[in-house]
Amino acid sequence: MRICLLGLLLFLGLGQAEAAKSLRLAMSGAFQPFSTTDIHGQLSGFDADIAREVALRMKLEPELVQTDWSGIQAGLQAEKFDLICGSMAITEARLQTMHFSLPYYVSGAQVFVRKGIQSLSDLRVGVTEDSTYAHYIQKHPALFPNARILVFGSEAEIVVAMNTGKLDAFVSDRIVGGFYVKKAGDTGIRPFGDLLYEEHCGISARLDSQKLVHQVNQALLAIISDGTYAQIYEKWVGFPPDLKALMASWSEHIKQIPSLGQTRENRQKKAEFATGAQSMLPLLLEGLGLTLKLTLITAFFSLLLGALIGVMGVARNPALRALCTGYTFLIRGTPLLVQLFMSYFVLATFVNEIAGSEIMGAFSSALIALIFNTAAYNAETIRGGIESVDKGQWQAAKALGMSHQLMLKRIILPQAFRSVLPSLANNLVVLIKDTSLVGAITLVELTYAARSIVFQTGEAMTPFFLAGLLYLILITLLLMLIRQLEEKNA
Amino acid sequence: MKPVELEVQNLKKSFGERLVLKNVKLKVHAHEVLALIGPSGSGKSTLLRCLNLLEIPDEADLIWEGEPIPWQTMPESGRNSHRQNMGMVFQHFHLFPHLNVIENILEGPVQVLGESIKTATERAMQLLKRVGLEDRARCKPHELSGGQKQRIAIARALNMQPKMLLLDEPTSALDIEMIAGINDLMAELALDGMTMVLVTHDLAFARDVAHRICFLEDGEILEDGPSKEVLNNPKSDRFRLFLSQCRFL
Repeated sequence: MRICLLGLLLFLGLGQAEAAKSLRLAMSGAFQPFSTTDIHGQLSGFDADIAREVALRMKLEPELVQTDWSGIQAGLQAEKFDLICGSMAITEARLQTMHFSLPYYVSGAQVFVRKGIQSLSDLRVGVTEDSTYAHYIQKHPALFPNARILVFGSEAEIVVAMNTGKLDAFVSDRIVGGFYVKKAGDTGIRPFGDLLYEEHCGISARLDSQKLVHQVNQALLAIISDGTYAQIYEKWVGFPPDLKALMASWSEHIKQIPSLGQTRENRQKKAEFATGAQSMLPLLLEGLGLTLKLTLITAFFSLLLGALIGVMGVARNPALRALCTGYTFLIRGTPLLVQLFMSYFVLATFVNEIAGSEIMGAFSSALIALIFNTAAYNAETIRGGIESVDKGQWQAAKALGMSHQLMLKRIILPQAFRSVLPSLANNLVVLIKDTSLVGAITLVELTYAARSIVFQTGEAMTPFFLAGLLYLILITLLLMLIRQLEEKNA
Repeated sequence: MKPVELEVQNLKKSFGERLVLKNVKLKVHAHEVLALIGPSGSGKSTLLRCLNLLEIPDEADLIWEGEPIPWQTMPESGRNSHRQNMGMVFQHFHLFPHLNVIENILEGPVQVLGESIKTATERAMQLLKRVGLEDRARCKPHELSGGQKQRIAIARALNMQPKMLLLDEPTSALDIEMIAGINDLMAELALDGMTMVLVTHDLAFARDVAHRICFLEDGEILEDGPSKEVLNNPKSDRFRLFLSQCRFL
């Protein structure tokens, strides 16, 4: 036993020693050509190569971490990794919560439009969430007069949305946007106008890691001086870097280098919880509103559809029974997120093409996926409830001369519903939590609202805590309502 | 002889490999009380359920009031209307637990026969009075004793105004002190001329109330005759053995 413990301690100690020698660098893996995840699950791209090279120059073992862009800042603050090397543009707002290295590349924001678009008014415009492009559009509404802004998780999805007619334009990095457009083939998507602004991307660190930032700067200088940088740049971007412009950007950012003597504290940490929470509530409540709307509409229709399919599951016609089994097998065998994407990118595209106008947007796509998904679970629950009704009830009803339908309606279903009400309530709770996935198709529900506050403030605890609290209140209220219904029916 | 109300011939029924009814032949006359007796597993309950097609036989000729019932070919609605000719009472009552007493009794006439609630209720109240439970109309089944449940189940069957009652061991699940009440109720119904086919283990009741007794064993009717005659002069050894095991006569 003692030997075992010793072994365990040794093992843990070794693990820690190893961790101390490595440098963890995060990137999204969905921002080609800067970062991408290859078929082996390995991160590659410009950012990945730079990250590896910088770590090696710092005499540390590079450990690349793939993290969704939406959670990348929260991950840094939570010490899930040491640095973000993921094409993050240096902005005033971000400098409040993070340190940045000197820029490691210069690019710019570019508008891309669909074939045939001549002006930027009345368009559906896509951006990635918490990107500088999203913030820019928000601050400059005159750029896209009368626009509908749709927020996506990555550039790859934006290009799919462009190709499936869900978007008229998007704003992205000129290199990244150009890369995806080229990859998508001859679709007629093209850059529109000049660069909106120049962007300087840096490697960012927590406010308590000034020393690390200095080391990164030294490493960057080293790889630029010996030509490694230019090699990597040309390999991924396709043309040589404009080193003059890069150096010019360095002089611009020299003042942002943290001094080693003093520690700047995260302003958000100092901020009063109460005032922070108060400013977040309006957006969170708006998200809660959408969550509630999705939940209630889905709950109603999924119950109807679920009852129908559940009844089909006990039909005497074997074809109907097979239909029920097939349906629940298909829906329960695939993740809801996949169903959401199918509904939004495939079904909605198809429907809109046939209709010739956009009659099915993100909201109805989400509703359809949620209703069909929840209905499968409700159907299984209801079918189980029907089968759990005493066989004697069927016989007694049959002996009265009742038809199958009348029997179900008057005798079996009322009893089945009573016995499955707790399970249906459980499905409802699962549904409420499932609505948090619709953020993936541009809808701002409660979880997404919390996430977007995290992007804006760089603080993770308060918004997620508040969102959790709101979910808890919502679920408690709904369960109390169901409890009352149960008691009334008992 | 009274007219034959229900006749069944060549009745065969198997569950999987096991043949539970072998070529059974049975006639039920109007206003007759017929008791089906026999050891457990002899097929008497199955026979009863085949009469109203609650079990679908493998083969059988069913004749109702002289008219053959084409049960093999008729749609489910035809079978349903055949079932409406006879009320059924179960050993375990099978009252509808989500409905109260009066709703249980109204369910058949109103939902199946499409009677108005008013006329069905009037008759239901008379039936409740008859079974001695007119003060329990608004109770839920779970508030009743076993004997009371069976009275309601009988009232439910009678409110369909059937021409015949099928009773499947109606007193077997009851406490001893409840049995006499249900037996008295069935004896009254018999006196009123209700045709009844009854599966029972209660030989005393069969002797005193039933006009005729059929003894089943291994899916065959071994004895069939007026009750006292059958009980006093058993023809087959197996029936004699059966009677010797039932010592309460």
